[in-house]
Amino acid sequence: MTPSSAPLLRTEGVVRRYRSGASEVTALAGVDLEIAAGEIAVVAGPSGSGKSTLLHLLGALDAADAGRVLFEGADLGALAERQRTLLRRRRLGFVFQAFHLVPVLSALENVEYPLLLDGVGRAERRRRAAEMLDAVGLAARLGHRPDRLSGGERQRVAIARALVHRPAAVLADEPTGNLDSRTAGAVLDLLADLNRSLGTTFLIATHDAALIARTPRRIVLADGRIVADSGRAA
Amino acid sequence: MRFAWLALRNLARNRRRTATTLAVVAAGTLALVLTAGFVAYSFDGLAEAMIHGGLGHLEVAPAAAVEARGAAALDRPLEHALAGWEGLRERLEALPHVAAVGANLQVMGMAQGPQGASVSFVGVGAEPDRARRMGFEKKLRAGELLPETAPREGEEAALVALGLAGALGVAPGDIVTLLATDAGGSLNALDVRVAGLVTTGVQELDSRYLELHLAAAQRLVGAGLASNLLVGLDETEATGEALAAVRAAVAGEQPPLAVVPWTERALFYEQVRNLYRGIFWFLGTIVFLLVVLATSNTLAMTVMERMRELGTLRAIGTGRGQLAAMILAEALWLGLLGSLAGCLLGVAAIAGINRAGVKMPPPPGAVDPIDLRLAYVPEAFAGALLLMLAVLAVAALAPVARAVRLSIVDALGHV
Repeated sequence: MTPSSAPLLRTEGVVRRYRSGASEVTALAGVDLEIAAGEIAVVAGPSGSGKSTLLHLLGALDAADAGRVLFEGADLGALAERQRTLLRRRRLGFVFQAFHLVPVLSALENVEYPLLLDGVGRAERRRRAAEMLDAVGLAARLGHRPDRLSGGERQRVAIARALVHRPAAVLADEPTGNLDSRTAGAVLDLLADLNRSLGTTFLIATHDAALIARTPRRIVLADGRIVADSGRAA
Repeated sequence: MRFAWLALRNLARNRRRTATTLAVVAAGTLALVLTAGFVAYSFDGLAEAMIHGGLGHLEVAPAAAVEARGAAALDRPLEHALAGWEGLRERLEALPHVAAVGANLQVMGMAQGPQGASVSFVGVGAEPDRARRMGFEKKLRAGELLPETAPREGEEAALVALGLAGALGVAPGDIVTLLATDAGGSLNALDVRVAGLVTTGVQELDSRYLELHLAAAQRLVGAGLASNLLVGLDETEATGEALAAVRAAVAGEQPPLAVVPWTERALFYEQVRNLYRGIFWFLGTIVFLLVVLATSNTLAMTVMERMRELGTLRAIGTGRGQLAAMILAEALWLGLLGSLAGCLLGVAAIAGINRAGVKMPPPPGAVDPIDLRLAYVPEAFAGALLLMLAVLAVAALAPVARAVRLSIVDALGHV
């Protein structure tokens, strides 16, 4: 899908510091970034470069020490905790390296979960979760619990969970980090298909060279700063 | 309610730990229902023993006698004795729930045995036929009970308590001479045959107690007199209703009469009741603390082990309140399932103990061993269940607080 020109996600001079023992570590040192709606982009860089921190800030999971993070024009730093929770529940999706599925729930129930949070009725939840699992190729695994699924299947369930409530953006932190190259390739194909078919914005933090190579926009971080951005250059 | 099913499923994560926690909750519940059953049976048993041991459900006595010694006093001064009470008795026996009304005449004096031993006694002249209809029980240890018909002069008999009989050196068939002052202050003597030996169940009383037929007691201290009328009911639960009816029936009598329920006369019962209540609450507090400590540790472990998952749930939009509800629901499931198991065990244990017929040593001051029996107390089962739910809710407070305060980023990175 062709990205629109209005930025869905935007950072303005974002700084994030952490305390590590007696010293202070600057994870992000003034990051300016715009991600348009419908875009698919990767955030690359070595470990400790600030990729995950940037995703946490964009996903309203954490707050910046300085600068602003805007989602659909709203300053996340000005939102109350409950508003940030509702934003994550309704407008964002998350995919993690370690999948983080609820082990006692089936694939279908895991995907239903975000809809459950929002009070969607049981029949509607089931229908939408089953449709999403079908879209990620797991129609035959609805009743399987995570421990009965392969790594690739678990990540597909996690992707379905991130998309079932039709969020504006999905933030994926090393989504192929725990997968072999063949499975990782399939997951990448899936993300690209979903981006095209649903128009969902994907921002993916990764060091997976194959994933970086295949993604049209590449943002490279080093020491908490953007050192290259193919989107900006374009 | 939305998270109740998820909370229930979460209990299956670590089955051994869940089973251990459920066992702790079930054991706490079991301890409470068994203790409550024991206490309730003891209360009921003690109440019935006191009522049918000679106290009756209600006492009708001259108001002056009750005022003189207090409602709880067992003896009523002879100078205030009732006269002409037969008509009143007839009216009282016609009231609902009244099984019988027996006249009692209390006598005190000296008893002399055939070998010359003299011992002070407290005695009561009673009506054996009325006593039988009121369900009064005599614990006969030797000889026979008093005949129901009034004895002819010279044929008076007595039931002598074991302690008094031992002090006098008498056995059934022996003659005891009783000396007592009558209502006019004159000293009278009466020879009585020992019909049987009994126990009152209380050691202290056994050393001084004897029982005569009312007619024999009247020959000793005053014709036609009665210290009081004892009212026996068909069921103890009707005491309140009967009390009101009897009070209405005696209103306007001259000299004025007082009606005293058994609960006001049985001070020992109230003392035992208060003691048992104290023990029950003490035990309940210990159980509460033990279960809180054991389960709070389990719930804290549950939160610690699922830090990343809880972080994920928060990340994907679970509110703090929803997360708290989920953890609280897990705790409440543990409380509900554990206490239900404890209640079922309690039902089985009560049935088993009651069937086993276990005897317990006599309580302090009592003579006979008592049966270990437990009552089913529905309120105790419901109360124990609610208490366990409260216990688990309290135990969940710290884990819930920890979970809702967690930083999502820290939780996602938790190892």
